[in-house]
Amino acid sequence: MPLFFDLTINGLIMGLFYALMAVGLAMIFGILRIVNFAHGEFFMVGAYAYALTAMKLGINPWFALILAAVSGAFLGVAIEKLLMRPLYQGYASWSIVKDEYAVVVTFALSLFLIHFVDKVIGPSPFMGPSLVSTQRIAIGPIMLNGQKIIAAGISISLLCGLALFIKKSLWGRQIQAVAQNRFGSSLAGIDPVKTTSIIFAISGMLAALSGALLAPIMNPAPDIGSFPALKSFIIVVLGGIGSIWGSMFAALLLGVSESFFAVYISYDYRDAFGLFILVAVLIFRPHGLAGQKGRGA
Amino acid sequence: MNYLLKKTALVGALLLGVSFQASAAEPILVGISITQSPPGSVVQGVQIKDALEIYRDLVNAKGGVLGRPIQLVFEDSQGLPEKGRSAVEKLITKDKVVAIAGSHQSSVCLSEIEVAHRYQIPYVNTNCWADSVREKGYPEVFNTSPYNSVVAKSMAATLKAMKVKRVVAFAENTDYGIGLAKGLGTALKAAAPNVDYKFETLDRSSKDFTPAILTLKANPPDVVVLTMLPPAAYIALNQLYEQGVAPTAKTIVYDGAGMADYPDFWQNVKEAGKYLMTIGMYHPEMNQTDLSRQIAVAYKRKTGNDPNRLIFQAVDSLVVVVDSIRQAKSTDPEKMLAAMGTGKFEGARGTMTFDSHQGGTYHQWVDIPYVNYQLTAVNQAVGNTTLLQGPGMPLNIGKLQYPK
Repeated sequence: MPLFFDLTINGLIMGLFYALMAVGLAMIFGILRIVNFAHGEFFMVGAYAYALTAMKLGINPWFALILAAVSGAFLGVAIEKLLMRPLYQGYASWSIVKDEYAVVVTFALSLFLIHFVDKVIGPSPFMGPSLVSTQRIAIGPIMLNGQKIIAAGISISLLCGLALFIKKSLWGRQIQAVAQNRFGSSLAGIDPVKTTSIIFAISGMLAALSGALLAPIMNPAPDIGSFPALKSFIIVVLGGIGSIWGSMFAALLLGVSESFFAVYISYDYRDAFGLFILVAVLIFRPHGLAGQKGRGA
Repeated sequence: MNYLLKKTALVGALLLGVSFQASAAEPILVGISITQSPPGSVVQGVQIKDALEIYRDLVNAKGGVLGRPIQLVFEDSQGLPEKGRSAVEKLITKDKVVAIAGSHQSSVCLSEIEVAHRYQIPYVNTNCWADSVREKGYPEVFNTSPYNSVVAKSMAATLKAMKVKRVVAFAENTDYGIGLAKGLGTALKAAAPNVDYKFETLDRSSKDFTPAILTLKANPPDVVVLTMLPPAAYIALNQLYEQGVAPTAKTIVYDGAGMADYPDFWQNVKEAGKYLMTIGMYHPEMNQTDLSRQIAVAYKRKTGNDPNRLIFQAVDSLVVVVDSIRQAKSTDPEKMLAAMGTGKFEGARGTMTFDSHQGGTYHQWVDIPYVNYQLTAVNQAVGNTTLLQGPGMPLNIGKLQYPK
């Protein structure tokens, strides 16, 4: 029984981290209908921004966390302005090669950022400072890492905050409108360019925060982003492409099921298990767990 | 007329001299295939590069070999077998190197040696531990690297001396990791058949090993063996500590990769590294040669770090290349290979000779020095660790400490 609880809690915590990553990816897809292959590098930038500012500059880890969030948001806006804008503000003919452009540009950006960090900061992994001094906390038979508990709490707050923001705020409703119909929303007086910028800022911020929160647990190295990015792609499709709620649910489902699969079936194929679920779900629900039928690009 | 003739002869002689000098100074190219960018171990690649450059400079400062300087031609394998293969192909066919050295990560070596074998170019393995690299039996491949079977035997002897009953190994899913975990099983069967041993394969690119670790919580083994390389090994060590599985008064972690002397070790493991028992291929208490002392000083000056086993392994692989040219008095691959097969080479870790028996030690420096030691404090330098077994010495397991 303790193993069951251990696996469930560990799976839920991992699922929360996956969710922070995947929600941003889902939002970008929801509004631009493109896959951002550099999404994992938002995670990496957040992890490095947090660890470097806290360790090298001696800044308080909580403040470093805020700096990491800001750096992720800034990177998101910069990418949107410099690389993504031609998708919807460039030549009309660009729409024909929109998907190809997005794949090539985001993939190239991902490789550039990994190699840039590798050359400028160095290849060595390093553990970021913990937000709490308690490394181990025993709750009954369950042993938890203090950083993981804090990170899980922050992740829940962020995801709830995001849900409220999307549902209740003016900007959130604008995002929903642009995601539903970009042209129609512009006729209603919504600025789709500004909305897209906001989406990239939020997406970058969430992924960077995820990286920063995991920096004391996952020993960031330049290619740290590839692991959560792969999970995010699975989650976004599993949850229903573009669906924020679906992504949150799929992330938790993946986290918990991976945890059990590893122990009761095979650890060797643990990371392939997500793909396994994905195929199974797509056979019966091609639009994902919470995607809308017939929704196309 | 006489004056003109003299002048022409002088100019001719000068030109001839310059031409001879140019020919004499033509560098000998040695190909180096290492990981210089992700996803492979760039940390290892950087250390190997630094060490090779230091030794190259030492050789060239003494006039090179056969009167010619050594020039290293670097290629990035990215730690990927397919990239390593094309890197070696390029080094041999385009750069016309006389030998290949520097390689690390067994799966990359296994791919690269196929190319070296096809072109019959000497290939000196720096840090590929998998026995399968030797078992291929390629006459072009010589190994100054540690090898899994000797590490497995040493670890089995240590576990036997500890009188353990149950051992669980976590192995990364590579030729090195699985090879060592399997080798340890075989060695334990021979040395301590009553030990209950099993190993679990973990994906080296994964960042969460908690589920595998949680299964040990109800019934912790006496020893958790790690046959994993950083950064995955760091994460596993941290998660073992975080879950309270090891180190404890019952369970200790035994590292089979010699990671404790990596420059980034303590920064990445902190408390989780305390009480780690490890097999080490270098320890300051090992016999130091003149070369190792020179290398240690130069390495410290160049990087600010203390040298570790990888530095000396890299130097030794280039020593074999350079000295085989010297002994063969030629850069002809066939003559170099003959010299490697029969010669003695004074390296940074001792006198190297290569075994000629087919199998897991083919063309291997068999008597490679190693130690077993335990880290007993956070941020402890390797020189201050508790030496459980000195080089060539019997094991003193009584010194082993457990957390209270």
